[in-house]
Amino acid sequence: MSELLRSEGLTKRFAGLTAADRIDFALEAGSVRCIIGPNGAGKTTFLSMISGHQKPTSGVIYYKGRDITALSVVERARIGIARKFQTPTVFDALTAYQNVELAVLGTRRPKHQQRARIFEVLDLIRLADEWAKPVQFLSHGQRQWLEVGLLIAIEAELLLLDEPTAGMTATETAATVRLINMLTREFGLSVIIIEHDINFIRDLHSPVTVLHLGRVLMEGSFDEVATNEAVREIYLGDAA
Amino acid sequence: MTALADAGRAPPRRSLSTFALSENGIAVAVLAVFAVLPLVISGYPIYILPQYMLFGVMAMSLGLLWGFVGILSFGQAAFFALGAYTIGLAMQSDLGVNPAYVGLLLSLVVGGVLAALAGYFLFSAGVRPTYFVLVTLALSIMVEQIAVSQSEITGGWNGMFIDRMTVTVGPWIAVSLSADLPAYYSVLPVVALSYALLRWLVSARFGKILVGIRENEDRMAALGFDVSMYKTIAFAISGAVACFAGALYGTQANFVAPSLGGVLFSTEVVVWVAIGGRSSLLGALLGGVLVASLSNYLSAITPEYWQLVQGLIFILVIMFFKGGLAGAVAGLGRRGWRRQVAP
Repeated sequence: MSELLRSEGLTKRFAGLTAADRIDFALEAGSVRCIIGPNGAGKTTFLSMISGHQKPTSGVIYYKGRDITALSVVERARIGIARKFQTPTVFDALTAYQNVELAVLGTRRPKHQQRARIFEVLDLIRLADEWAKPVQFLSHGQRQWLEVGLLIAIEAELLLLDEPTAGMTATETAATVRLINMLTREFGLSVIIIEHDINFIRDLHSPVTVLHLGRVLMEGSFDEVATNEAVREIYLGDAA
Repeated sequence: MTALADAGRAPPRRSLSTFALSENGIAVAVLAVFAVLPLVISGYPIYILPQYMLFGVMAMSLGLLWGFVGILSFGQAAFFALGAYTIGLAMQSDLGVNPAYVGLLLSLVVGGVLAALAGYFLFSAGVRPTYFVLVTLALSIMVEQIAVSQSEITGGWNGMFIDRMTVTVGPWIAVSLSADLPAYYSVLPVVALSYALLRWLVSARFGKILVGIRENEDRMAALGFDVSMYKTIAFAISGAVACFAGALYGTQANFVAPSLGGVLFSTEVVVWVAIGGRSSLLGALLGGVLVASLSNYLSAITPEYWQLVQGLIFILVIMFFKGGLAGAVAGLGRRGWRRQVAP
């Protein structure tokens, strides 16, 4: 497997606060990585620097070997880096079909192929039966999926998912695990996920990066991370 | 997948009755009424209606922006007046070809380029909608002030007289539009064409992307759409359409004065579109024609109160019919449809 994404010394300082501190990170193409850490660990800040929503104070980001640090959100989305936000960010007043259609329009697919493609994506995210419904009437979990569907529809190669299972039932969370596994195994996509749901992370069987106070505390398998003394401490410390 | 399941996903089939109730169907009916109107009535209405139809085209240019991109502009009248001055100046100059054609063409370019420039600098800098409104307001003030101050060119407060144009086809055909009837029948197709073009635009890929921007700009950017470019193009088209309509208006009305580009008139355009319904181009068009006609009628019978009446209608629409006339009609249609479907 080849390397898809790499960050070197990625740092973000807000007045007086270092939200991300010299983060070195690498992701293989076609793989999944979970990022965990207590509140304020810098998870969303890190994701925002990868998606282009925040400019790093210092450090470099490489995507497919190319320095993309200076690229805008739009430019990064065009080369295949797409982000799902913490709160579902979809087109509330439009139908599920229209939502996916907008994303498909970004791919310049010929018109006669668009409808089939839209339903292909809707099938994947289990919204084909709800295609005509304005998405403000969908459940929170369905809206989360729809947003992931939009990223699939623009043919993104690296999905950045900020808390994709927040507000989901256990069944929906399990289905999300299957969806993400299918995206990586069958479509070869790469996924970075910020999550708090420990069952979800365990079921994904993906490597985990632990952030703490803006720095990488450790990286390893779920079992390695779960049994690590330092990780237990920051989580227990956070709870206390 | 079974055929049955697929049928459930198919968009509703178009039939003649659904077309008749659609926006385009109503538009065809309305334009047909306008087409036969001169057979029924004559005189002043036939003189004034083409001008109000062009107000309607300007209203559509705002409808495109406000309804489909979600950007409000208080500068449409500035483009409109600019168009009138452009054709006025073109017709004063000694050109080899039909000067009115040059003026009309120039107005498209002038309006489009000016709006594109303003839009480019504002949107690429990420100016918020509220500030954009203020800048368009300033644009209206500037155009009015320049029209006043550059009196050697524009005639200043006295305004500028513009001849009715002559429609020519090569050296063979020349029809002067100085009489009201040919003028009426030359403006009407332009109005119909403007409506058709704008409708095509908003239903095409471009229009869908504009609606996406209106609904969620951040999402569109994160999907890889260059939001500021699309907004700039939309504003440029809107400016070009308003400027072109203004040019045609100039030769219809025979006259342009600085107040045509002023803030007051720009505000009136916003009122027309709000009353007509901003999410519908036909609503905006009819808003322009009907409210301008009503203003004309009321200002004749009650010069003191007509603006008050117009203001009251505006407030009522904002309070009770946010979608304007078009929204109310669409709502009625939906209710009727529900009654049919209900057991």
